[in-house]
Amino acid sequence: MNLYLTDGSEESFYTAAFTACTDGDCVVTSAREVQLAAGAVLIEVRADKERCARVKRFLRRYDARALGEIALLLRRGCAAKEMAALGYLRLIVRERAPVRDRLSHPAVLEAMSEIKKVTQEAHRYKGFLRFMECANGIYYAPLEPDNDILELIVPHFARRFADQPFAIHDVARQKAVLCRDGRRTFIRTEEKVDIPLSDGELTLQALWREYYAAVNIAQRPHEKQMKGYMPVRYWKYLPEKQGGAPSRR
Amino acid sequence: MLDGERLKILTESAKYDVSCSSSGSARANRKGGLGNASFGGICHSFTPDGRCVSLLKILQSNRCAYNCLYCPNRADADVPRAAATPDEICQLTVAFYRRNYIEGLFLSSAVDGSPDRTMETMLDTVIRLRKVYNFNGYIHLKGIPHADRALAMRAAQYVDRMSYNIEFPSEHSLKLLAPQKSKESVLLPIRRLSDEKKASSAEKSRKKPKFLPAGQTTQMIVGASPEADGQILRLSEALYRKFSLKRVYYSSYIPVVHHSLLPDKCAGLLREHRLYQADWLMRFYGFSAEEIAPDGENLPEAYDPKCAWALRNMHLFPVEVNTAPLELLLRVPGIGTMGAYRILKARRFAALDFADLAKMRVVLKRAKHFITCGGKFCGAGSDAAVRTLLALESREEKYEQLSLFSLPELAESARTGQL
Repeated sequence: MNLYLTDGSEESFYTAAFTACTDGDCVVTSAREVQLAAGAVLIEVRADKERCARVKRFLRRYDARALGEIALLLRRGCAAKEMAALGYLRLIVRERAPVRDRLSHPAVLEAMSEIKKVTQEAHRYKGFLRFMECANGIYYAPLEPDNDILELIVPHFARRFADQPFAIHDVARQKAVLCRDGRRTFIRTEEKVDIPLSDGELTLQALWREYYAAVNIAQRPHEKQMKGYMPVRYWKYLPEKQGGAPSRR
Repeated sequence: MLDGERLKILTESAKYDVSCSSSGSARANRKGGLGNASFGGICHSFTPDGRCVSLLKILQSNRCAYNCLYCPNRADADVPRAAATPDEICQLTVAFYRRNYIEGLFLSSAVDGSPDRTMETMLDTVIRLRKVYNFNGYIHLKGIPHADRALAMRAAQYVDRMSYNIEFPSEHSLKLLAPQKSKESVLLPIRRLSDEKKASSAEKSRKKPKFLPAGQTTQMIVGASPEADGQILRLSEALYRKFSLKRVYYSSYIPVVHHSLLPDKCAGLLREHRLYQADWLMRFYGFSAEEIAPDGENLPEAYDPKCAWALRNMHLFPVEVNTAPLELLLRVPGIGTMGAYRILKARRFAALDFADLAKMRVVLKRAKHFITCGGKFCGAGSDAAVRTLLALESREEKYEQLSLFSLPELAESARTGQL
């Protein structure tokens, strides 16, 4: 059995797929801490422009939309993402046609549900992202998503806050985007960044907490539903979920 | 900027308004402006009562000239009073919006002075927000009954959605509990806006600003007056058909005010939930109010309205999943709109069996009594057994969950209305 180890990039995945597609029981992954099964051969995949392009060309010919779907799939924050993508790709290769509507096929189901997890988280962050105004006038928002969704949400905020310079920082993946005057710059970052806040920022956050407490109807407690919609792992950067909230319910 | 104390008063008075949705409008950000509207709507937070926070829900003023019995802000009530200036509300909206706390503004008001004066101040706020603050985010404006028609028409040029509250499901209850309002005072403005929207969408001009792009909604209180669910649903159906309302919201009665004409007890979340389920059946599943509940009757508590309908119409079932048309699939308990569309797609490639359906998120616990897969039937043998099993299943859900939808998928169902 062959184990293809990619560097996590899309190009590296397509390079691996070039051979893995027809390599029966192989495993493709970018997870560094993989367990090597007995008799498995480790193949470190180095991204190859030519091979990647050939697989992509093939896909474009039979189902161009699948390129976008696989790109989304590879943003999943789990070790099995390459295998889900490979299973989907293999089926397209076999059918030489789009397969996304074959919703009873396990490979399609898997791919669609994984894609949904990525797009759903991206949608959630359109709501849950919180900016704070920094002393230099830039609005800064940290996030720690399960999936690599930073690039997916940037266009939304760039349209919405066209008149406001802002930065969105994926703290876990140590990267950030800076948007200013219609230009976007992606940068690598340290794990921790120190940002002096503007004078009014903390007052405003307190006002927001005041609002959050006031708009709740205490006679209808339904905490489970709140957590279903807004899982606790997203609370870290929500001012309304941090200490200092008014004790009144 | 508005201070915390007044914000608290003006929000606590506004919080019983149910609607917080920010969907239905795709307003673009104009050059140099702030914000846009997202057609599908975006929830920004959720409060411990399980409701979403999407808009800054606030009153312009809670000083009220009216004396609606059920209302905490009624003229006779001894509560702290406050008002905000248009600029204060604009500044707060923009400050919250820039931090991505909110999707926009939901502006309502008590009748401060006269209806016209109140509506003028609110209109001033939204025009300022659009023109001075260059704000293109979502605005939902509550209409004030009895206010001049021209004010509402003007407002509709600037906001995304407007709503007039029906308040009660019958004229009689409205007269009794909200003496200064009348059927005419709430229905007439809804009709005018609806007519105007129809006329303006017929014009099809690209340059003209859109008239009320996200349409109208309304809200009524359930359980404070004696009307049965059947009557309520007929009213909603008429509102959807005649005035093309986007949503009717049902607010289960909470006794904030004590009065001999009002019940002392909460109406309960279950009744509200059943009404919303029925409402969804009318809007997305092709059901009529007539089919869902007889006029003077309430919806059964034991199971959801779709199960109830199916149990009354057992002669139509089982249907064959691999051949049934969409309209029939949509009527099977346990198959939601998404499930039905998935089935339509998947069955073109391969015959589906029960295992496939389970993977496609069809709720087999309910659906199995009403379908066959390739001729195979897996449900209970008799109608009575089906009835018992469905009721049991529904009860398990209820007990397990304290009050209704705590499981994520059920919570999802409450939000998306998949039945």
